[in-house]
Amino acid sequence: MTPKIIKKNALQKTIKKWLKSYDLIAPAASKEGIRFKRITDPKEIVLDRYQNSIYPPKSIFLPQSEVMFNFENGSYTMPEDAPRKRIIFGMRPCDARSIWLLDTVFNKAEDLDIYWGEKREKALIISIGCAAICETGFCDTVGSGPFGEEGSDILITELDDAYFLKPLTSAGEKLISSLPTANDAQSKRARAIQKGSIVKDHTPADLGKIRDRLYDAFDTPIWKDISESCLGCGVCTYLCPTCFCFDIVDEVDRSERVRNWDTCMFRIYSQEASGHNPRPSKAERTRQRIMHKFAYWVDNEGVSGCTGCGRCVAQCPVNLDIREMVTTITSLKIQ
Amino acid sequence: MKGKPRIILFQCQYCLASSTDQDWVEHDLPKNIKLVKVPCSGRISPLFIMNAFQKGADGVMVSGCMPEKCHFINSNLGARRQLDEFRKFLIFLGLEPKRFKFLWMNIDERGVIQKEIAAFTAELKKLRPNKKFNSLKGEIIGQNYG
Amino acid sequence: MDDFSQVRKEAARILSKKKVDLVIGFKKGTIPLKAQPAFISSPDDVEQLILDGFCQNNLAVFLHDEPKDKRIGLICRACESRAVRALAIEHQLKRENLYLIGVPCSGILDWKKIHNAADGQITSAVEEGDQIILQVGGKKQTLKRNEFIVDSCRKCTRREPVGVDILIGEVQPNEIGTDDLTPTWGDKFAKKSSNVRYKLFTEETDRCIRCYACREACPMCYCTECFVDHIAPRWSESMVTPGGTQAWHIIRAFHQTGRCVECGACERACPMDIKMVYLTDKLNDDMKEIYGFEVGADEEKQPPFATITLDDKNRFTT
Repeated sequence: MTPKIIKKNALQKTIKKWLKSYDLIAPAASKEGIRFKRITDPKEIVLDRYQNSIYPPKSIFLPQSEVMFNFENGSYTMPEDAPRKRIIFGMRPCDARSIWLLDTVFNKAEDLDIYWGEKREKALIISIGCAAICETGFCDTVGSGPFGEEGSDILITELDDAYFLKPLTSAGEKLISSLPTANDAQSKRARAIQKGSIVKDHTPADLGKIRDRLYDAFDTPIWKDISESCLGCGVCTYLCPTCFCFDIVDEVDRSERVRNWDTCMFRIYSQEASGHNPRPSKAERTRQRIMHKFAYWVDNEGVSGCTGCGRCVAQCPVNLDIREMVTTITSLKIQ
Repeated sequence: MKGKPRIILFQCQYCLASSTDQDWVEHDLPKNIKLVKVPCSGRISPLFIMNAFQKGADGVMVSGCMPEKCHFINSNLGARRQLDEFRKFLIFLGLEPKRFKFLWMNIDERGVIQKEIAAFTAELKKLRPNKKFNSLKGEIIGQNYG
Repeated sequence: MDDFSQVRKEAARILSKKKVDLVIGFKKGTIPLKAQPAFISSPDDVEQLILDGFCQNNLAVFLHDEPKDKRIGLICRACESRAVRALAIEHQLKRENLYLIGVPCSGILDWKKIHNAADGQITSAVEEGDQIILQVGGKKQTLKRNEFIVDSCRKCTRREPVGVDILIGEVQPNEIGTDDLTPTWGDKFAKKSSNVRYKLFTEETDRCIRCYACREACPMCYCTECFVDHIAPRWSESMVTPGGTQAWHIIRAFHQTGRCVECGACERACPMDIKMVYLTDKLNDDMKEIYGFEVGADEEKQPPFATITLDDKNRFTT
């Protein structure tokens, strides 16, 4: 697959061309920083070097609140047709990887979630790599990296005066087939930037060992000590690009069945109708979250469920750092 | 506004002394007014008022007994502090003051409720239908990517 | 601050003398601009304790989960001491089992504002007097501390911890304040017309992702079943709709009337930068004006909505 080039001053023109046949979703400015929005004017796009959006882009495929169907008088109607084809431009590799991970949950052919599937098959993901790992990020420790390729159709490396596009799927290749091809100097520069983005004192974590040590620590009281300052607020799960738990509610006043994000950090998440709660305290709930990301995902799919985006580390009100927690429990460093 | 304003009336079951007034409220209330009868105005929680506006009320009227006349001795006073503050709060957030009215009734008043409701309806008719705090079929925010 | 070594000594003393089983304070965070709550049960660990402008939380929130008969030492600034008083009035804790070490506070810093003001990635941040010294990508950057204090601390007039067992350090009066040149968001809100106020309110609530971090960070929100969890009647929709979110913010603020300690922990916990202190400030101001009630000013007086008195008979006429 041949890499292509878009000169920086030609980016807006290229995007305007794409806008003719696709809907474009890209990071734009918002009160809390950056947020993925539907763009109609390419000037609104913000590709900030230092920050990612706070709100995760998994909401493009798994909306926080989604109407499953309307019901009235004993019959139901499905929501309107799926959107037309979309390009999601400017996602970071950590978020693109999270879409790849969530595909294994929602997009398996024998188990397809139709709401996810409809949006996913009509979407092209163009991600842009990070020249330096962000402040709280640790993507390279958990099996990805600032130029990770999973989940994207095209990966962009930002050069000094142009964008270097590497197609990773046939759909991506088709989209940019008419653009000028990159020359050797540009390819070399792109490779140098990618190499330079790796932080020297980060080492990839041994996920199998971490998984084993987490299981060993399952019944020990260490979970109570590390979760003592947890507020149980749910910010980490709502901002996490790979958290996918949801709650289905019948909103009778609206005659709709709705699917909302849910969080395992709330006490009522696992509360049963009898009143019994298998995860009665913060210790069990924190244990569930950490083991889901670093043990159960490794068991089921062989990869870490955490993509190292760092949102939970940056936004946790009490600065509970998942890296510190895993390091404390397993005595294996994640940084 | 065109048509009649939609009003929710929260009423204490003891505040109307005359049985003709009671019958009028229970059977002859104009069609645009919904009656919610409570055992005492102290039962009325700000959540009820919030819910009324969210479900499309143009105006809300709360009717209860005067102080010292409460059937449950002083429960209406508890309501007064909360609901009065809640009214101030909603006005602070942009609600028009005319939309939320209190009617504290003396038990020897007769024929007052009909006049008050007519006056309230006339005032609301001068305003537009209420869009603030109205959440009927509200759109899901921030998830509509087109 | 130099006084803080005395606080550590006091914490070590009450732990070694078995006056308390646990001391709650703050320790250094894992990344710049942050601090973590610390739970110290051994006198050897008191060296971890710190206090600076990056200590964002109200520590009284951790008293909800602890058993009421556990003896706990708390390192309190003014807002935490008010919260302890308010919780004691509502019988949520036993004051005789707590040992409060009062410390002065010079305002909490807005870490997001500092983050945006820096020219790059911050590798370290230190407070020195009235300055904040940042190391940004190898270079030093200095910021004026007064410009980065959160709104709720700028207008704070009650910096003295109340009802503490020992006060270590001297409380400085608030010299920053707010005026027409530096209004808070709430000041600006109150001056607008009613339609503009409604628009500003909905602009804030539209960003809400219903994560309920504000509720969990608040020391006065301790209900085991919150009104949003009720299904019948459904007061607040579970979805991110204008109706559900407005109901959430309005009713949560209203449930804090006369109880909110004005610490601002809710706003600081919010990941989407939603303003909400202006709602409870308005309600608390009304409580002071109408009933003369201030949270934390008295050890036994009940909040206005919990008192029913015939003195009210001529109070409301509308």
